[in-house]
Amino acid sequence: MLTTLVAGMVGVSFASVPLYQLFCKVTGYGGTLNTENVVAPADVSERTINVRFDSNISPDLSWRFVPLQRQVTVKLGEQTLAFFEAENTGVTAQTGQATFNVTPFKAAPYFSKIECFCFTEQTLAGGQTVPMPVQFFVDPEIFEDPATKDIGTITLSYTFYPAENDEDDRSKVKVSARVQASHKG
Amino acid sequence: MLKRLFALIPAGFTYLLAGQALADVEMRSSQWQMWLQKPMSESAVLVHDLNLGLMILETVIVLFVLGLMVYILIRFNEKNNPVPSKNTHNTMLEVVWTALPILILVVVAVPSLKALYFTDSNPDVEMNIKVNGNQWYWSYSYPDNGDIAFDSIIVPDGELKPGQPRMLSVDNPLVLPANTKIRFLIASNDVIHNFAMPSLAIKVDATPGRVNEVWTEISEVGNYYAMCSELCGVNHGFMPIHIKAVSKEAFAKWVEEAKEKFADNSSSDYPKTVRLAEAVNNAR
Amino acid sequence: MSNEAATHDHHADHKPPFFQRWFCSTNHKDIGTLYLAISMIAALVGGLMSWYIRLELAEPGIQFLDVENNGFQFYNVLVTAHGFIMVFFVVMPALIGGFGNWFVPLMIGAPDMAFPRMNNISFWLLVAGFILLLLSAVIGDGPGTGWTVYPPLSNSDFHPGPSVDFGILSLHVAGASSILGAINLIVTIFNMRAPGMTIHRMPLFVWSILITAFLLLLALPVLAGALTMLLTDRNFGTHFFDAGAGGDPVLWQHLFWFFGHPEVYIIILPAFGIISQVISTFSKKPIFGYLGMAYAMSAIGVVGFVVWAHHMFTVGFDVDTRAYFTVATMVIAVPTGIKIFSWLATMWGGSIKMEVPMLYALAFIFLFVVGGVTGITLANASADLVFHDTYFVVAHFHYVMAIAAILGMFCGFYYWIGKMCGNQYPRGLAKLQFWVFFIGVNVLFFPQHFSGLAGMPRRIPDYPDAYSGWNYVSSVGALITAVGTLLFFVVLWMTLRSKETVAANQWGEGATTLEWTVPSPAPFHTHEELPDMTGKAPAE
Repeated sequence: MLTTLVAGMVGVSFASVPLYQLFCKVTGYGGTLNTENVVAPADVSERTINVRFDSNISPDLSWRFVPLQRQVTVKLGEQTLAFFEAENTGVTAQTGQATFNVTPFKAAPYFSKIECFCFTEQTLAGGQTVPMPVQFFVDPEIFEDPATKDIGTITLSYTFYPAENDEDDRSKVKVSARVQASHKG
Repeated sequence: MLKRLFALIPAGFTYLLAGQALADVEMRSSQWQMWLQKPMSESAVLVHDLNLGLMILETVIVLFVLGLMVYILIRFNEKNNPVPSKNTHNTMLEVVWTALPILILVVVAVPSLKALYFTDSNPDVEMNIKVNGNQWYWSYSYPDNGDIAFDSIIVPDGELKPGQPRMLSVDNPLVLPANTKIRFLIASNDVIHNFAMPSLAIKVDATPGRVNEVWTEISEVGNYYAMCSELCGVNHGFMPIHIKAVSKEAFAKWVEEAKEKFADNSSSDYPKTVRLAEAVNNAR
Repeated sequence: MSNEAATHDHHADHKPPFFQRWFCSTNHKDIGTLYLAISMIAALVGGLMSWYIRLELAEPGIQFLDVENNGFQFYNVLVTAHGFIMVFFVVMPALIGGFGNWFVPLMIGAPDMAFPRMNNISFWLLVAGFILLLLSAVIGDGPGTGWTVYPPLSNSDFHPGPSVDFGILSLHVAGASSILGAINLIVTIFNMRAPGMTIHRMPLFVWSILITAFLLLLALPVLAGALTMLLTDRNFGTHFFDAGAGGDPVLWQHLFWFFGHPEVYIIILPAFGIISQVISTFSKKPIFGYLGMAYAMSAIGVVGFVVWAHHMFTVGFDVDTRAYFTVATMVIAVPTGIKIFSWLATMWGGSIKMEVPMLYALAFIFLFVVGGVTGITLANASADLVFHDTYFVVAHFHYVMAIAAILGMFCGFYYWIGKMCGNQYPRGLAKLQFWVFFIGVNVLFFPQHFSGLAGMPRRIPDYPDAYSGWNYVSSVGALITAVGTLLFFVVLWMTLRSKETVAANQWGEGATTLEWTVPSPAPFHTHEELPDMTGKAPAE
């Protein structure tokens, strides 16, 4: 009986991985966005909210990645298109995938993306520059919720990381550089 | 009762215990300091007052228990009380010492949650700052001020100028306007760091892949110092945070200079890693 | 450790030859002794590390670390190893493995543990774990991750080389050891109580071990799961905690602290149990509010599982989550308050005899209260905005968990050493040892509250000059504590060599539990005829 308990707790800790992801998605926890079954609301409110854009790039990607607009003011419920721009400043093609979250975290349940470059891996040839669109809307219910009604600005942040199959050789270079640095220290 | 206690203590009284306050405030700890640094933002004042109230409460509890222990040890010593009682129950007493702590905690929870929800509120800010943690330095950028971006690396011990505190000074401080609501976006390029500033009650993890935000309004012009507050590897102790708060006019002037100075996103001719290695090497 | 001179020529005391006795032991007392021995060895290793740290921090600047030769990494390794050793190889073996093995069967009237051979394997797994941990510190650069092992710092990008893997394996093995030990203790306590020894008549020390064993059983597998994920992340290309590939480093923190918070109760609950026995014995009174005490411990155990995120307030949580964890954490103050007041009420009206174990019990209460109240501060998510990761936290957990647990260990040692080896400890020297150690730890850790309030971060090998004053005081305290620790080993040596033996019931009328009904030293086999407790007065 007790061994079952132990096995059960180990199982629970592994089950926590998908459960945690599901939990984050459903509740918007940690600024995780819901990206499935998104349907824009029919009515567009007259109230507006600011949406800012923030970009981060892993040191393992030799890309430049910036939002083309810092901030837009959108009507609640209105579908809006915004652009980021990525440029591969290296010579060889690299594949990246973006993770994203919104802040404040509590705004995440009300922020929905209809289309985003972050849903799929992006490959850029050396020197190539591409615009990266994201289409989103903010649910008007954000002003109904007492916890979120004072939010005037939502920030959408992306971080580009090298895609998995692209990572290995690069991380080796990185490691040796770091070890060297730490030994100097 | 306790609420009244909190209200009775003028916030200013507590500064007597804290570090010195000069014309241009120098916000770091002083020798033999026994108390928090002076709070320099609205959030910090709330946290500071909460801590003061808690500390008084806690001192009272400790002294009460200590006094009780001393009394018991004298009164019920083997010599003074050779025959022990067999008393093992007192329902009234047990109810009291369960209920009273609950009541005290409820009273404590009020200012605590008030401070918590205030720090999490979302006022309209006037500017944004992006903070990036790196092994082992901070990078700052000003998206609203022409995308000024620079790295902030510790000043080695040998290169300190007079007035620069050891372990806390950096080559390029984060220059910010005082009396301005500022939002920080905090991210990390490698491991988890923590962007902290005790006198502003800021402490936010810089976690890779997860951007955090926090806001503040610095109340006085001066220098604010802190250190990375999450173990981030070999030189964790050597990535200080230095905020230089200036007046709005001075800030506008600084922005124009900085646009030139950091035009190539590098304050120095030789590469970042070399500067970093040197800084750390000399920081002893 | 048993004293040959005191050996009784009795069939219950036939001991196997040396190798079988100590290496293949299935006897709960011998295994308990082995646990106590490894705990003392580990305490010296972990203690030396902390003294080195304090020496380095005695003055600003770098004194001893070899900076050219990766000295800062070495410092982080010391910090990490000190934490692991003290938690997993000093406190847990002594309180649960040592005193738990020795006295749970004696106190409930059982002849031995339920699974004697499993008892043996869980001890030797612990030895293996300890060796692996020591190896991890000397192989490669060592794990400079802190005992929390947060990725990405602990993943293969930032800690290449085998040292973190060795650390992970060490914890796996030590965890398996503890799980086996916990199962053994639970089965023993549930099934092997003497007739009439009902659950509600068990001594509180047995209660504390029972609750601790359940906490171990629930918490350690979660650590094992998380460590396995980290191990596969490091070596087999999984991405559980890799933000770049859809993982989340914060998930590790959730899993770690889901284990880590109950772990601090695992450390302190058995000490609660020992203190309860000692206070009752030396007040010559049954414990006040026995049921309240037992269920307060259970409540602490249960609530301990729903407060973990107060270690992560700065991670960037939703505000309501932080409000919940603030309130839930403060709730813990209620059952701990019940325990403190019940101990005081036990002494009230008693006839208190100030023997050394009682001194330790009183010191425990004082330290636990000081550390406990600062816990109320740290429970507040808003206060954590200034306190997270400062020396205030270091002072808090050393008071409430580390030093309190060590005082509990000393308390148990002086209380039971007569039963374990049959000899009287040197009273004067033991008192001196108490005062030196007690003053030492307070001088060591109290100033760290001030450093923390002033904002000094943890885990740094050097600090701004303003912190030098209190750090110097703290280092002086470490020196005093070191003297106190060495004095303890003198006391131990003198006790083992002492000619003065003790009676079966060394402490007189206050000592009512079953271990005082068997001779001192306790013979190799005890309770071969089960004591009948039917109709005896309940424990309260």
